[in-house]
Amino acid sequence: MPGEVPLSETAQPRRSLSYRELVLAAFLVVSGGVVVALSMEITPGVQTDPLGPRFFPIALGAGIALCGLLLAAVEILFRGEPSMAGPLSDASPEGEEDAGPFSPARFVGAIAATALYVAAFDALGYLLATPPYIAAILLIHGGTRTRALLITPFVVTIALYVTFRFGLLIPVPDGPLEGILPW
Amino acid sequence: MGFFEHLLAGFASALSGYGILIMAAGVAWGIIGGAIPGISGAVAMALALPFTFALDAPTALVMLAGVWAGANYGGSIPAILMRMPGTPASAPCLLDGYVLAQQGRAAKALGVSLFCGTIGGLISIVVLIALVLPLGEIVVRFGSPEVFALALFGLTLIAGLSGPSFLKGIASGFFGLLLTTVGLDTLTGSMRFTFGSAELLTGIDTISVMIGLFAVSEMFFLIAHPTRKAGEVVVGRAGTAFPNFRELREVGRATFVGTIVGLVVGIMPGAGATASSFVAYNEARRWSKRPELFGKGSLEGVAAPETANNAVQGGDLVPTLALGIPGSNSAAIMLAALLLHGIMPGPFLLTKHPELVFTLFAGLIIVNLLMIPVGIVILRLCLLALKLDPPVLIASVLALIVIGTYAGDLFVLNPVQALIFGVVGYGMRIWGFSAAATVLGIVLGVLAESELRRSLIISHGEWSIFLTRPVCAVLLFLTLGVLLYPAFMTALRHWRARRVAAAPAAKS
Repeated sequence: MPGEVPLSETAQPRRSLSYRELVLAAFLVVSGGVVVALSMEITPGVQTDPLGPRFFPIALGAGIALCGLLLAAVEILFRGEPSMAGPLSDASPEGEEDAGPFSPARFVGAIAATALYVAAFDALGYLLATPPYIAAILLIHGGTRTRALLITPFVVTIALYVTFRFGLLIPVPDGPLEGILPW
Repeated sequence: MGFFEHLLAGFASALSGYGILIMAAGVAWGIIGGAIPGISGAVAMALALPFTFALDAPTALVMLAGVWAGANYGGSIPAILMRMPGTPASAPCLLDGYVLAQQGRAAKALGVSLFCGTIGGLISIVVLIALVLPLGEIVVRFGSPEVFALALFGLTLIAGLSGPSFLKGIASGFFGLLLTTVGLDTLTGSMRFTFGSAELLTGIDTISVMIGLFAVSEMFFLIAHPTRKAGEVVVGRAGTAFPNFRELREVGRATFVGTIVGLVVGIMPGAGATASSFVAYNEARRWSKRPELFGKGSLEGVAAPETANNAVQGGDLVPTLALGIPGSNSAAIMLAALLLHGIMPGPFLLTKHPELVFTLFAGLIIVNLLMIPVGIVILRLCLLALKLDPPVLIASVLALIVIGTYAGDLFVLNPVQALIFGVVGYGMRIWGFSAAATVLGIVLGVLAESELRRSLIISHGEWSIFLTRPVCAVLLFLTLGVLLYPAFMTALRHWRARRVAAAPAAKS
């Protein structure tokens, strides 16, 4: 019959409950609740503003919590939402299917190295802090040739320094090198 | 001042000083960024943001427009030469582009991609200008309630379309809106979510958040999920050969189809370059006189998706400039660049800053024209960039991000925010949330809240103001429709499933 939905599209066996989705739903509910609670502590506004500064964050917190509740309900009742994926331009992650397995060590290593770099950025200055950071990222990622490992940190550091300091005239922190550098 | 005077002034502004060099640099970076898998158009634009700190708003905008246009073409270079799309939007291009390269016609495929892309881009700018000006005249009559309803509608539409899960998309949009509430409330001076920190009084740094969500998260993803992707083989000797008259006639229909598809898809907020290039490829095959050649090295198969993904730029900018609703990540970054220069994006951009909008029009025409010479010259540099080891690229980009976000206002908290939102963005990607919707929330948040509150101040707290004004009521009705659509779809799916299951039982 015209308009009939093929059996294969509709009569598929239901997938099992996704606990990941339920945890995410719970996270949204709790986060929304925390936002509402924190919003209640905001000092109320003036009388001419009927909503005041609390309303918007409270509404958003409630909205996030509601999304969490609906997500859980949809998962429990229907085993997930109907697919509505719309490719927002450049938003669809490319090469997802080509991505290798998740490596927690690399992920945590990259975050830790970046956090250390940002912490040292002001104190050590850009020129001293950047080469070890780049070398660390190269090592964490792995697969870098020795020559690249030795050259890249210095080439990239100097190229970026010259671009920002002399090209864009942005005072990049020099740290202990301040006063030693001729400029 | 009339239209042509405005446009001439726009050209003068775009070409003043080092304008042409900055635009060429933007196009060059866009092409290189687009060519490198992992650096999509939006990431390339986000990475270019720090370089706009030193520029005035119009120059910054045209530079970013150049990056955007360049990235649209750049993605096709590895697609054609290496069967590896540089951006998701260039994936359909490889279907015929790589076959052409294998046939020894790589230069021709690149030439068609560049030439037809430029044609698509230029036509889309003309349509953009033709649509934005009348729309701007309508929007200027909008009051606070309409602007609020418009922001809400745009956010709902895009949040709903931008990811695999509608609810997660909406939650992501709410998260973005919430981020804009951090800091001093502009209407009352109350402190919100500052937790006693003086640094947070001015709010979250939009640029750092965007760079974190788009670029840092992408780099972390590449580190945490190293690919074993092959594809380093460049076919033949790379060059660019433009289509001759016969070939131009051959691809004419596909270019036309690509332009129309790109424009239509681009104008719809939420659908963008990737959708347009796939749709254009299919439509071009449907309308082609020789559909059997598609997938076997058809020039039309290269022309249609490449024209469409360039034509999207003009279409995308229609809601962005006329209504203040960015149609894509790239358009959202353009609006963020405005925020960076102290200009509030929104539906009144055209009325309040006509010089800026006309400079952007002129700049868009120039960058599309610059695509051809820059595209030819930059090809070899792209191939060198493609040979870079991924870890070298990732480390360099991360170092650029840290210094780039710091350079905004010489504040170490900015790179910290970029790092935090990089981790958040990675989590959002892994768990199916939409970073794009969050960014949209950030761009629209201030506008949505201030107009909501202003509306209620005007109406002395009467919520009926949103229903008594026709445009506002229609927009809110549409928003409700978008919100209820998934529930309707779920119900329909289950009703159909039950009907199909019941049919055999009834027969027996």
